[in-house]
Amino acid sequence: MNLSGFVIRNAFRNRRRLLLSVSSVAASLFLLITLQVALRELTNPINDEGSSLRIIVRSKVSLAQPLPARQMPILERIPGVVAVSPFTFFGGLYKGDEKFTSFAQFAVDPARTLPLISDAKLPRAQYEAWLADRTSCIVGQMTVDRYGLKIGDRMPFTGQLYPCDLDLKIAGIYHGTADDRNVMFHQKYLDELQGNPGMVGTWWVLAASAADVPFVTDRINKAFANSSAEVRAESERAFVLGFVSMWANIKTLIGGISIVVVFALLLVTVSTMSMAIRERFRELAILKALGFRRRELFAFILAESFGLAMGGAVLGAGGAWVLFRSINIQNLTNGLFLMFEVTPQMLGLAFSVAVLLGVLAALAPMWTVARTSVVQGLKTLD
Amino acid sequence: MSDRENIVSIRNLSKIYAQGEIQVTALHDISLAIAAGEFLTLMGPSGSGKSTLLHIIAGVDRPTSGECLVQGVDVTKLNESQLADWRNQNVGFVFQTFNLIPVLTAFENVELPLLLTRLGPAQRRRQVHAALELVGLADRMHHLPKQLSGGQEQRVAIARALVTDPRLVVADEPTGNLDSHSAQEVLGILQSLSRQAGKTVIMVTHDPKAAAFGSRSIHLEKGELTN
Amino acid sequence: MALPIRYSLRNALVRWRSTIATVLGIALVVFVFVLLQSLAAGIERSSGNTGDPRNLMVVRKGSTAESASLISRATLQEIRYFPEIARHEAGDPIISADVLALVNLPRRNNGGEANVLLRGVTPRGRELRPQVHLVAGRWFEPGKREVVVSAKLARRFANFDIGESFKSGNATLTVVGWLAGGGSAFDSECWLDADECRSIFERDMYSSFLIRPVDAAAGAKLIARIEADRRFKLKVEKEVEYYRKQTMTAAPIKWLGGFLAVTMSIGAVFAAMNTMYAAVGARTREIGTLRVLGYRRRFVVVALLVEGAFLALLGGVLGCVLAFHWNGYTTATMGFETFSEIVFEFRVTPGLIAKGLIFAVVVGLIGTALPAIRASRLPVIAALKSL
Repeated sequence: MNLSGFVIRNAFRNRRRLLLSVSSVAASLFLLITLQVALRELTNPINDEGSSLRIIVRSKVSLAQPLPARQMPILERIPGVVAVSPFTFFGGLYKGDEKFTSFAQFAVDPARTLPLISDAKLPRAQYEAWLADRTSCIVGQMTVDRYGLKIGDRMPFTGQLYPCDLDLKIAGIYHGTADDRNVMFHQKYLDELQGNPGMVGTWWVLAASAADVPFVTDRINKAFANSSAEVRAESERAFVLGFVSMWANIKTLIGGISIVVVFALLLVTVSTMSMAIRERFRELAILKALGFRRRELFAFILAESFGLAMGGAVLGAGGAWVLFRSINIQNLTNGLFLMFEVTPQMLGLAFSVAVLLGVLAALAPMWTVARTSVVQGLKTLD
Repeated sequence: MSDRENIVSIRNLSKIYAQGEIQVTALHDISLAIAAGEFLTLMGPSGSGKSTLLHIIAGVDRPTSGECLVQGVDVTKLNESQLADWRNQNVGFVFQTFNLIPVLTAFENVELPLLLTRLGPAQRRRQVHAALELVGLADRMHHLPKQLSGGQEQRVAIARALVTDPRLVVADEPTGNLDSHSAQEVLGILQSLSRQAGKTVIMVTHDPKAAAFGSRSIHLEKGELTN
Repeated sequence: MALPIRYSLRNALVRWRSTIATVLGIALVVFVFVLLQSLAAGIERSSGNTGDPRNLMVVRKGSTAESASLISRATLQEIRYFPEIARHEAGDPIISADVLALVNLPRRNNGGEANVLLRGVTPRGRELRPQVHLVAGRWFEPGKREVVVSAKLARRFANFDIGESFKSGNATLTVVGWLAGGGSAFDSECWLDADECRSIFERDMYSSFLIRPVDAAAGAKLIARIEADRRFKLKVEKEVEYYRKQTMTAAPIKWLGGFLAVTMSIGAVFAAMNTMYAAVGARTREIGTLRVLGYRRRFVVVALLVEGAFLALLGGVLGCVLAFHWNGYTTATMGFETFSEIVFEFRVTPGLIAKGLIFAVVVGLIGTALPAIRASRLPVIAALKSL
């Protein structure tokens, strides 16, 4: 038997302690990963291929201020612009929902909108059916699955932001975008319901290339400067990050709390692991009596500490990875989270923390071992 | 000899326990009577079964077969909770390692068994005082165990054993961890308990000098009485 | 104090070195729990604190928030002279038709941008909201592009000092005063003249009406009368009721607090278990002694549970003290109903502290249960084994 065999046999001697130590490391790292994933998803917009080319144009006053429909031809003439469509957030309540509907409804121009959602896969026939019927809509696959819908079903919405209600017929079902939940319907239908006020919510603009985006954005902003309806055009990413900035102190607070959480668990884990290793004092003293040197004893302690930490990391981080891949996060969080993806960087972080844990937890026992004489060690029973 | 005079009567007591695959006979068909007021010492080498016998008499261990009547009660037939109450009322324990509760003062340690009785605080206080007086430690009652010497700790433990006024006091190597001077003191106290207070004292020891304090000595070897 | 309890407490304290990590761990769990709940409590309090019980709020049916509501001017003319509405000495009805607008403005120190809620109000609107008063400067003059901003928002947004001005739409608004809403939702608003607000943001419609009925009976009648009229499509409720429901923002924070508390407490339970197992291991002989003296298993279990609960309670108290440090601290986030920056304070209420402490004790008890049962099953003979 060599020293590593001794380490392993010893670690398994007190199975309960082993289990508790490994579980508490695993619980900490699981939570660390969960918070990382959530924070990433809240602060880092999810992207699909089209998002790098899209520009979102809203009123300079705020997103809530509508824009005049007459801006459309001006936008289309700006160099570098490939496509333009209104995107008016309707914000209605779906049949039966009382306070909150987890998917958005956008009024768009179906004839112009397809290039803007190039990631969406929609059968040609369904697209044509949508185009042909002013009161029809297309729906994302996730919403279809969630409510058990099919083509031809009706979707009623109660207007919250707009003083009118919608009664839409499903003409098509799409999938393949970063967020397959939204309902899209005709801007014309919304205009009619309101008596044609000639206003839209926002414009979505497609630039010819990613490199064009900054120039096109600039040109759009300038085109409406000093007009009665000044606009703010920005890349989709900047637009979404603007939302994140509105979370204000809450974002900082949650970040801070994550640190407290991880710190608390590290504290507890280090003490748990130190306790587990302290149990070995008698063996360590025997080894010392048998002539093992301090260096070898340190190696013994470190090996056990590392073993515990790594076991916990595999269980906690690996568990998070497996769990978040296999559950349907959209349904669980009512659409708050979409992807909940564990990235390699996060796994890297978790394992680095585990390494740190392994070292920290070994420090206290190593210090004591260095100071303890053989006789004292043999006396330590508790 | 009737059971009334004999505080303990043991008939055909055997104890076999499993140590892994092997069956170990700790006690083999022991019969023994102990009269009230005796200071009996149990002697024998390690593993002879002397401690096991003491444990069965004191109601902390159970025999495999046979009966053990203490004051007419067969302790082998009591259940766990009945045994706990019985021990509290009838037996005082003195351990080799003193076993005082480190976080409690001498007074509180002695008071501990009384908390299980219906006695009021004033009565408890009187009894604790009396017990500590008896072992000569009334002036140390507010000390914690770690502030006492080994001999003093053991005397506190004896006070704790006496405080409920049991008829039977059992001691398992009470001088095993003491220097010879403290050992003399402790043995003296135990002896006076049997001589003056009429208690029955049963003590396990392997020190012949300690055994000399007793009124009768019996030897065990390999689970059997040898004399 | 009874000796058995003293026994448990002293044992908990005597091992402070080995238990300090557990106590701190539980303290941090309770801290996070109480802090997040106090945030939610702050949001709920600021909206629960808003409104006058005599007032009625009118919004469009289907709108969950005033800012998303639209009511036509014709409707105002129809409702205005309903006899249930109280009148001023001069005879005009006490009703305020407000216009709400959302403007995107820069924060101080380049802190990004956020939406601010502007409320266009009439003099009646100010009378109906006595919670709001001026803390600096003066009120806006009708017909002028002047604005009175919330003092709490003024600390967060650029160009909000008195005398400064900011541009929105095609208008430049000059800040002439600071208002305070007394811890109500009005602390997150900026007020200006209603007609100016309509013209700047090209609004043909009003957002909401605030009405003072003659008395409570007239109020009930008015609610029935307006809601019954199919032409209006309006919802009428007491102003305080309306604000009490504006707590959507608090929900996810509460959820997060609960989630973190549950996940963290699993770690804390492991820690408590380890600590208590170690305690049991170190006291095997002592526990055996108690049993020899006649103490039953039940006592051993209870004594250890008290010890574990006491340790956890220490942690809980520490966590609450840490969280209480934040009580009254002002913070802000985006409100879900108004889609604008809302300012509120952390509220560490006695109820939350009680919850935090109970939570800590439960963690302690769960963590101690298994070690305590194990301790009670230790053989009595363990007490008699020599070293």
